[in-house]
Amino acid sequence: MSTNNMSDPRRPNKVLRYKPPPSECNPALDDPTPDYMNLLGMIFSMCGLMLKLKWCAWVAVYCSFISFANSRSSEDTKQMMSSFM
Amino acid sequence: MKAFHTFCVVLLVFGSVSEAKFDDFEDEEDIVEYDDNDFAEFEDVMEDSVTESPQRVITTEDDEDETTVELEGQDENQEGDFEDADTQEGDTESEPYDDEEFEGYEDKPDASSSKNKDPITIVDVPAHLQNSWESYYLEILMVTGLLAYIMNYIIGKNKNSRLAQAWFNTHRELLESNFTLVGDDGTNKEATSTGKLNQENEHIYNLWCSGRVCCEGMLIQLRFLKRQDLLNVLARMMRPVSDQVQIKVTMNDEDMDTYVFAVGTRKALVRLQKEMQDLSEFCSDKPKSGAKYGLPDSLAILSEMGEVTDGMMDTKMVHFLTHYADKIESVHFSDQFSGPKIMQEEGQPLKLPDTKRTLLFTFNVPGSGNTYPKDMEALLPLMNMVIYSIDKAKKFRLNREGKQKADKNRARVEENFLKLTHVQRQEAAQSRREEKKRAEKERIMNEEDPEKQRRLEVRQTCLITGVKLQFVRMPACVLLVVKVIFVG
Repeated sequence: MSTNNMSDPRRPNKVLRYKPPPSECNPALDDPTPDYMNLLGMIFSMCGLMLKLKWCAWVAVYCSFISFANSRSSEDTKQMMSSFM
Repeated sequence: MKAFHTFCVVLLVFGSVSEAKFDDFEDEEDIVEYDDNDFAEFEDVMEDSVTESPQRVITTEDDEDETTVELEGQDENQEGDFEDADTQEGDTESEPYDDEEFEGYEDKPDASSSKNKDPITIVDVPAHLQNSWESYYLEILMVTGLLAYIMNYIIGKNKNSRLAQAWFNTHRELLESNFTLVGDDGTNKEATSTGKLNQENEHIYNLWCSGRVCCEGMLIQLRFLKRQDLLNVLARMMRPVSDQVQIKVTMNDEDMDTYVFAVGTRKALVRLQKEMQDLSEFCSDKPKSGAKYGLPDSLAILSEMGEVTDGMMDTKMVHFLTHYADKIESVHFSDQFSGPKIMQEEGQPLKLPDTKRTLLFTFNVPGSGNTYPKDMEALLPLMNMVIYSIDKAKKFRLNREGKQKADKNRARVEENFLKLTHVQRQEAAQSRREEKKRAEKERIMNEEDPEKQRRLEVRQTCLITGVKLQFVRMPACVLLVVKVIFVG
């Protein structure tokens, strides 16, 4: 029994639950791409709307796609959908 | 009988007279009475159609010639008329000019009309009114680009998912034999193994393992390349990057001694030394070559003390490092680990960051971007190295000298930190005191009872000056005197 305990390194009584790392500073540090792309997309869509430039609108669509592809799963899907609009 | 006979004679006479009159008319066709009516229309026709023939004043004498000319001219036209008459019967009569009459003269009227009017220019129909594919080329191009992006997204996502699953399948057995809890997302009420990876992103997968001797837990993060983002894929064609596996083992306080040590590629170590709080404070020297211990040239060592390096670089560790040098990015053991340096706007933080005893490993997946699921098997020996390192860290203890040196280092670092933040801490204390004073003053102002107010004011003044007074029903005048003395 003792040898079994020694060879088996597992300790069920020492189990710790997973704690997701604090998210207040990490998202910005890790990768700012989706946030930048979101902002750019909004700016271009506004430009396209106000100045009636077709290419601006297309660039905005591309930006929102890139932002979606790079986004973290914790973010709102509603925000994604609104950015597509 | 006689009357009837005379009636017939009269009739005959009248008939002959009328015939004679008609004869007169026939003989004299050019009677002045009919000049205007008979030949008026012929006059106009003649002038227009017969341009070459000399203009003749229509007189009574030349009627016969004119009529013959007319007839001749008309005969030519009438031949055409007769041809077309079958097709067009009643059309021409209503028009003042017969279209057929001008058949031979089509070129001339056209020529004259074109000289008079502006030339006709054929203008292109504007593009947005056209209904052809060419006008939509921008839209087609953009939609094609978007479709390509979406296709790449789906393909990249699937590939990353397959790689992650392949890694997990390869390592599952080893992990389950070492840890009680394999896979936890923190949401379940009970601590049961989920047995699968947490997908944080389309390219990042986490796995938490816990329940082992020596360590609190182990967090494995599979950081794949952003295969789902087409821009990233194109950027990677310029600059090849590898997928990475990052392992962070949190040790129990009693199971690890106090030292800071790192080994890895020179480039990685230089970067870590700049970024990491503990490496920059405790390992101030440049990364040294590990050739002394038998390591390949590609790897370098950062250490707090020579003794730590000697202790860490035992045979088995050297074996691991030598054989898998191409896959190792960095290995970092530290009891003072607090993450990367935090850049704050107000300067230095006022408190030392929390530290944890940690072992960090960063491995590169072979393939340099072009990874296949079977490449994940090559990482299994590295996981063995991790397990071995955990056990080694527990076993390795500094001797007395080493311990003293380590303690001295930590005290030095703390002192430096306090010195740097001395000014800030002083300011912080001052602001706290001022805040307290302000709150006290507000309380006095809000107090309605004047008696109480005066008492509080004096107490505050005494507190400031450091004088203690005992208030046992002092008369108001005495209080006033005291206030005047101290406040002025």
